[in-house]
Amino acid sequence: MFDILKKLCLADGCSGDEGDIARLIISMLPADCEHYIDGMGNVIVNKKGAKTPKNKVMLAAHMDEVGFIATYITGEGYIRFAPVGGINAETVIGRQLHLKNGTIGVTGTKAMHQQTKEERESDVKFSQLAIDIGASGKEEAEQRVRQGDSAYFDCGYTELGDNMIKAKAIDDRIGCAIMLKLLNEQLPYDIVCAFTVQEEIGARGAKAAAYALKPDYAVVLETTTACDFAGVEDEQRICELGKGCVISYMDKGAIYPRQLYDMAVQKANTLGIAAQTKTLIAGGNDSQSIISAAGGIPTLALSVPCRYLHSPACVIKKEDALATAELARAVFEELCIL
Amino acid sequence: MDIIDTLFRLCSLDGVSGDEARAAETAVDMLKNYTDDCGADRFGNVFARIGSFDGDKPTLLLDAHIDRVGLIVNYITEDGFIKASPCGGADRRVLSAQTVTVCGREKIKGVVSVFPPHAGDKKVKDIVIDTGYTKQQLEKYVSLGDRITIDSEPRELIDGTVTAPAIDDRAGVAAILYALELIKGKDTAYNIFVSFSVQEETTEAGAAIAAYASSADLALEVDVSFARTPDSKPEECGEAGKGVMIGIAPSLSRALSDRLIDLAQKGEIPYQLEVMNGRSGTNADKISVTKGGIPCCTLSIPIKYMHTPTEVVRIEDISSTARLIAEFALNGKGE
Repeated sequence: MFDILKKLCLADGCSGDEGDIARLIISMLPADCEHYIDGMGNVIVNKKGAKTPKNKVMLAAHMDEVGFIATYITGEGYIRFAPVGGINAETVIGRQLHLKNGTIGVTGTKAMHQQTKEERESDVKFSQLAIDIGASGKEEAEQRVRQGDSAYFDCGYTELGDNMIKAKAIDDRIGCAIMLKLLNEQLPYDIVCAFTVQEEIGARGAKAAAYALKPDYAVVLETTTACDFAGVEDEQRICELGKGCVISYMDKGAIYPRQLYDMAVQKANTLGIAAQTKTLIAGGNDSQSIISAAGGIPTLALSVPCRYLHSPACVIKKEDALATAELARAVFEELCIL
Repeated sequence: MDIIDTLFRLCSLDGVSGDEARAAETAVDMLKNYTDDCGADRFGNVFARIGSFDGDKPTLLLDAHIDRVGLIVNYITEDGFIKASPCGGADRRVLSAQTVTVCGREKIKGVVSVFPPHAGDKKVKDIVIDTGYTKQQLEKYVSLGDRITIDSEPRELIDGTVTAPAIDDRAGVAAILYALELIKGKDTAYNIFVSFSVQEETTEAGAAIAAYASSADLALEVDVSFARTPDSKPEECGEAGKGVMIGIAPSLSRALSDRLIDLAQKGEIPYQLEVMNGRSGTNADKISVTKGGIPCCTLSIPIKYMHTPTEVVRIEDISSTARLIAEFALNGKGE
């Protein structure tokens, strides 16, 4: 699963520009799957199991990642840009970025020696930043970059410390990797998996997928905010790496049906799968769109706890991802016959 | 000597202020192309002597600093996170979510902790490094006082522009090496004492020690300065691609500044002026007051985004700096 994750994280695909990542995912599907791409770009995959289940269950994970879009090229050949999805500008300054066509650039502002005290202590804003590709003027820049081109953090996939992984776009390529893992297993029931688009700009792809597929139940496979680093106490940590799959009862976008939440917690307990829940109402995901789609679809979210979301260095622990994959399968099977 | 290749090699090395040994070793290897009389002094400064040094000629000191800005490990928390502080003036605004290398007994990777946008606008107060290890595991590799570099791979941007960390001042080191290449086998006006000094970013002690040891009669300090970025004032910057910046300042020798301007004009070497109103903020401040006083001038390479992992330099600015050093070494300070 982590070999797949690495390939997925190193590929690019920010919201609205998921073509490359969609093609990569399709190339990884086993032969016994059928797939199609819907009008929005969602990749819908059907796989036959041993039996047709009582309930149709959809798994969903989003293919898109946060990134950037080139908005303007200045007379001096700098590229102004905006975030696609929620990104803190402080994680964008002083980085290498690459444009979709591979052109490398860097971001920065004037040297700290030239900043006033207020400038040094205030938050960096996207309006202060520009991508510098080394162009000597507008004309040279325009040969490499067009307005509307996507850009990405240029950073590797690295194993870290005690069984951890650092990469961009783990949100939500780990969800995609878990679905690909399930699709490669022998399943007792038919399954439908939606690799969705445009989650990062408002969970938009999932809305269309849920409407078209009209499942009886849905399970969203995601990452969620872990703030379990030094200096953060108690409930502010939200969830912790190493404590297993995060089962949510509520986030900023959805209130999960209590009986489904209880079922998932009980499954984890019975099977001895490490699981936890969040200690703050934070974040949101495709559930917010699915839960109210097509007359209402009871939905559950299972998430891998992830530090530094939406930065070039998302960090997860392998055990948590494996626990999430195991619980996802168990919950899927249960929902099929619920 | 290929300037880009040399710069990439130098900028790939660690060497945060006070921990320059590995970078120094590579620099000594590079100097061996020009003299056998080179090495590191007991303080860590890299030195090279080129010439007879038998009293026939005055001595010219060429200095650039080998250290780079970074972080230093202050504390390891119970749950295994490193608390660090800047070692040299690292730009704190660029640290969040950077991948770093902790230069301990073994090199290990880490990430600078940051709250995600989902947590509202909370800020991490201290510099916290997440290595993914428990305290017990971490202490096998890391001790208090170890240095930390921010990872950024040297890359070529559009033709002749390079991004890398530590261009400040490995570009200066590369410029001096290229100058040595240009004067190789030629009759110079001086015996030449090269110093790649340690600890410029923190104490400037390296240059004070090297300048004393050199017994130089005059000196050129080769460092970097500010190139214009979209948000900076033109009057506070040079421009990338417009050539070496010749320093003029009350603390520098105006006679040397004038001679360098004259040589640049005669040799058709692109140059620009960097006027400062007191000290230069470089090793020249230490060198010029060494022993009975050593007349000194700065030659600066304009770079963008100084003290960040993505500094940017144009190679032509390194080569114009080297050419002017070579012209000066060959023709001398004149009358």
